[in-house]
Amino acid sequence: MRRDVQAIVLILVGGAVLRISLGDAYLNYVKDNMRIWLILSGAALVLLGVLALIDVLRKGRAAGAEETPHDEPHEHDDGHGHGHGGPRSAWLLLLPVLAIFLIAPPPLGAYAAARDATNGVQPREAKAPPLPEGDPVPLSVSGYVGRAVWDDGFTLDGRTVQMTGFVTPNEDGSWWLTRLAISCCAADALAYKIQPLEVEDLPANTWVTVTGHWVPGGGTKSDTAIPLLVVDSLEQVAQPANPYE
Amino acid sequence: MSQDVARKPYRPGALEALSVLLVLLIIGQRWIVGIFDDPALQTGATIFVSIIVQALPFLVMGVVLSGAIAAFVPESFWKKALPKNPALAVPVASCAGIALPGCECASVPVTNGLIARGVTPAAALAFLLSAPAINPVVLASTFVAFPGEPMMMVARFVASLATAMVMGWLWLRFGKSEWLRVGPRGHLIGSNSWHTFRLTATHDFLHAGGFLVIGGLTAAILNVVVPQDWMDSLAAQPLLAILAMALLAVILSICSEADAFVASSFTQFSLTAKLTFLVVGPMVDIKLISLQAGTFGRGFATRFAPTTFVLAIVMSILVGWWLFR
Repeated sequence: MRRDVQAIVLILVGGAVLRISLGDAYLNYVKDNMRIWLILSGAALVLLGVLALIDVLRKGRAAGAEETPHDEPHEHDDGHGHGHGGPRSAWLLLLPVLAIFLIAPPPLGAYAAARDATNGVQPREAKAPPLPEGDPVPLSVSGYVGRAVWDDGFTLDGRTVQMTGFVTPNEDGSWWLTRLAISCCAADALAYKIQPLEVEDLPANTWVTVTGHWVPGGGTKSDTAIPLLVVDSLEQVAQPANPYE
Repeated sequence: MSQDVARKPYRPGALEALSVLLVLLIIGQRWIVGIFDDPALQTGATIFVSIIVQALPFLVMGVVLSGAIAAFVPESFWKKALPKNPALAVPVASCAGIALPGCECASVPVTNGLIARGVTPAAALAFLLSAPAINPVVLASTFVAFPGEPMMMVARFVASLATAMVMGWLWLRFGKSEWLRVGPRGHLIGSNSWHTFRLTATHDFLHAGGFLVIGGLTAAILNVVVPQDWMDSLAAQPLLAILAMALLAVILSICSEADAFVASSFTQFSLTAKLTFLVVGPMVDIKLISLQAGTFGRGFATRFAPTTFVLAIVMSILVGWWLFR
């Protein structure tokens, strides 16, 4: 790969990283604590690219057309057929750049949630602490699933809770109130699902805030149990800035 | 010199191709976005971008540090630091891997340089295997990727170090120098230390970045294409699960600075199977085999990679049995 193209690839990759991390878009892909590292690394790449470009401009076009020196023989086409070896592979760095600038992939939603056959993971502590004060008390979808399935709903009994999630249509013709939880990036997302009772049909990926209370019957102590929720009120809302829990 | 340039006839090159490509993509954006309306493709695209976005800061940190080492650590340092006795140099070099915070793509050229500077090949190869697996950046990302499982980081350290040392000693006992071809090096020396730093960091990033994209793409496709229950039934068989994760590590070719995040996403697999993924990945994978074949010759790669693969699996099973009981 020529040095001037190398410089432009660096600037494009760094620019794409900066573009998503300076706004909220990075939250579609990674956790919020990655932001500062994304900004720093994006800035470093842009800087490396700009400096490389200055090198090329100083030495003139002839130096720019120079390939990277062939330190490693695999950069030549030496009959091994390793066409993807060496800096030629750096062209591939344009793929994520194009994905970010052209497609801007949305956060994972109902499709990914429906593929996940299990409902979250077993929490480390079997006994959940009591819910905080409040009526209704705001709760995460994963918190509700953990308390209902692995703690027999003890801490939910008699309380009114409020949760925000999106709609994942299920085979029963109804839908699950769903939220995906990530531990690092969207590749490790786990789906948490709740079955709201007697609700209107809504299209997939509609974000809703639901107020309601727990009733037994969804099954317990199983990673495929889906707890039930009696809905008192339901409101369509905009997607939260951080779509994951 | 400028006259030479002027005399050459104009030929469109990579820069022109890049510009045309970008213009076409901008014009065709609406059409491209239309294709990605499909939820499966959209999910794949999101997973692809998130693996890259998660890994990039670690990769940048790695190449910046490896650039700093290339620029500011004197060439004679490594040679002076290693014992004269090769059998002793192997464990010392393995542990020295802690000091190279790079991924496996960075360690291939560094090893090449070490051998070229007269470091005994067995020690340099032990370093090649250990450096991408046991350095602080990789261990930190392993720690972050497995919340509540700090033993995973310890197990990865122990199993990787053991594999690297045994491979070094095996090379000392059975290796032949004619299997190894050491390529020329030295183009990354700049006009001053700062320039060397920049050249090395840029070079390492462009080398590793493309392979990271291949890994992210493969992982995203597997994530969407392979049925979940297929993976579940594989994960239910302990030995098959370990072999499957080892093969997956070879195919996915994910940078060692990011592979822990991918490993932890295979939630249905046992800890030992995930450990195997983490030990095999930085030592043997498709991009590394091609890098090694290119740098040290095909005769080297066909012997070195399969041996390392088997040894890494054995070590992972032993360490997993010891630490995850």
